[in-house]
Amino acid sequence: MKPRMQWAARAAVASAVAALLSACGGGGSDTSTAVSVNSVRVMGDSLADSGTFGFKATVQGSAPTGPGSTPIWPERVATTYGQTLCPHYTSNGTSFSVNATCTNYAVAGGRINNFTAPASPVSITRQIQDAGTAGYNGSELVLIDGGGNDAADLIGAYLRVPRDGGAAYRAVLSTVLDAATVNAAFAAGATGLAQVGGRYMQTLAGQFATTIKTHTLDKGAKRVAIVNMPGITLTPRFRAVLASVAAASGAPAAAQAEAVFDGWVQAFNTQLASNVTGDSRIVIADLYSSFKDQATNPAQYQLTNVTTAACPVTGVGSDGLPTYTFPTCTAAALSAATPPTGATGGTNWWQTYGFADGFHPTPYGHQLVGQLVSRALAQAGWL
Amino acid sequence: MNQQHIVRAAAALATALLATAAQAQVAGTLSVRIGATHIAPQVRSGDLSAPSFPGTRVDVGSASALTGGLNYMLTDNWAIDVPIGLPFKHSFYGDGAIAGVGKVGETKVLPATVFAQYRFGEANANFRPYLGLGVTYAKFFKERTTATLNALSGGTPANPTTADIDDRFGLTPQIGFVYNFNERWFVDAAYYKSFLKTRTHLSSGQSIPIRLNPNVLAVGIGYRF
Repeated sequence: MKPRMQWAARAAVASAVAALLSACGGGGSDTSTAVSVNSVRVMGDSLADSGTFGFKATVQGSAPTGPGSTPIWPERVATTYGQTLCPHYTSNGTSFSVNATCTNYAVAGGRINNFTAPASPVSITRQIQDAGTAGYNGSELVLIDGGGNDAADLIGAYLRVPRDGGAAYRAVLSTVLDAATVNAAFAAGATGLAQVGGRYMQTLAGQFATTIKTHTLDKGAKRVAIVNMPGITLTPRFRAVLASVAAASGAPAAAQAEAVFDGWVQAFNTQLASNVTGDSRIVIADLYSSFKDQATNPAQYQLTNVTTAACPVTGVGSDGLPTYTFPTCTAAALSAATPPTGATGGTNWWQTYGFADGFHPTPYGHQLVGQLVSRALAQAGWL
Repeated sequence: MNQQHIVRAAAALATALLATAAQAQVAGTLSVRIGATHIAPQVRSGDLSAPSFPGTRVDVGSASALTGGLNYMLTDNWAIDVPIGLPFKHSFYGDGAIAGVGKVGETKVLPATVFAQYRFGEANANFRPYLGLGVTYAKFFKERTTATLNALSGGTPANPTTADIDDRFGLTPQIGFVYNFNERWFVDAAYYKSFLKTRTHLSSGQSIPIRLNPNVLAVGIGYRF
């Protein structure tokens, strides 16, 4: 019995020592990602632009671009993978030059259908083509957004119908739809005019999906995340537009216009989703739903204001809407300003606002978009 | 635990099985055991507090570890039982609004429990079923988050979001049995359930309540002094 007793005692001591040893060290965070990403390529509009025009379309950090600047959502995602972004195109105000080593192709004002200058980098289609020409080896993460400015163009033209007899609206529609479709819509009166806008956005989404497939997937990209179009009727800018519709034509007309425009955005998103569904190389981050949830349920996202811009109004545009100047709207300037009535958080009051200007998110808004995109990436097994 | 020990334990066990002697679990008997324990949390997660996607929840995976225990018979029927062992490592996965994102973190836990057991039957019976009631103190440590959690909570590789899980007490009812091979060697198997609620805090400010209520299966080979 004696040797066995010794063994039992030794076993007990050994396990106790092991338990104590294993209690040391560790913790913190394992920041390695599920897949290795060698390069993050971005195409899109102002939401994704790292500073083509020398600043970002949000509240500026201690620097307008580069180190110290406000991280926008694609930069936040890139950071997760240990990557940084810089603008592929840079503008001197009149023309663009290319920095081939930089992989953020997004340009503020970017449109899928940049019909006034299809070959300009402002065309997201052109951006996607340029990024495809550079080639993919499959280790990249591709982030794309777009459609918001296209919808804004269309809505602006539609709202001018009473004044210009539909000339501008017809011109925009005709860049995507055939003449017979456009003529039929105009012949069908108000209902036809409203519906054809949805048709336009739907067709545009189809073209967008085809462009992405041809110039991204077919070139070898294996991981593409597309941010769908947010409900732009919820932005301060469109809330103001709808308020002016309400003032001119009554609240029911404004509600109807809002429903029409929101329907167009949804038509775009539905078509886009349907065209990429079933392809494991593409995921869609549903910004539309998340953005709507933030607007109706701000406290859940720790947002204190989702209706007014944090940056000061610096002028009035030709459309009668307020304008803002991003280069002077810095974090330091906002913190030094007297907080608006009702704002909380002291000098950090603007940090819980959803919008920097009438159309673009604050740095925190960008964080929320980044988190949304990250969720989609993680669900695809890429994070 | 090295291989030599296991071989010697097996040899000792075989020898013991052949031996015949009177069994005894009388008052004053001290025994030790070694074996394994499996913990399967039956998770009901609350929602992560704001700011978060509405309905952000987690699930917690099962874990096993090398364990053992000490048992002391106060009377012929009443015993004090203390399981001891290596820590368990549990993984946390996204659920609810973040279902499908995969692993968001892991933690080690040492569930320290003291049981009062009532053993049925005679002190020298071969087979003695028992009921127990324990108090568990779950000590969570080495909480470790993932890149996914960082990305979902605004963290970065340089400034990651970390997690801290509250250490908590819980009640643990138990049912089990002891089967004696001889006067020295026995096998002890038990099922218990810990009623355990805790709360995980993120360095980004949010917290999430989690009811773990694990089902626990423990089995061990024991030696009586």
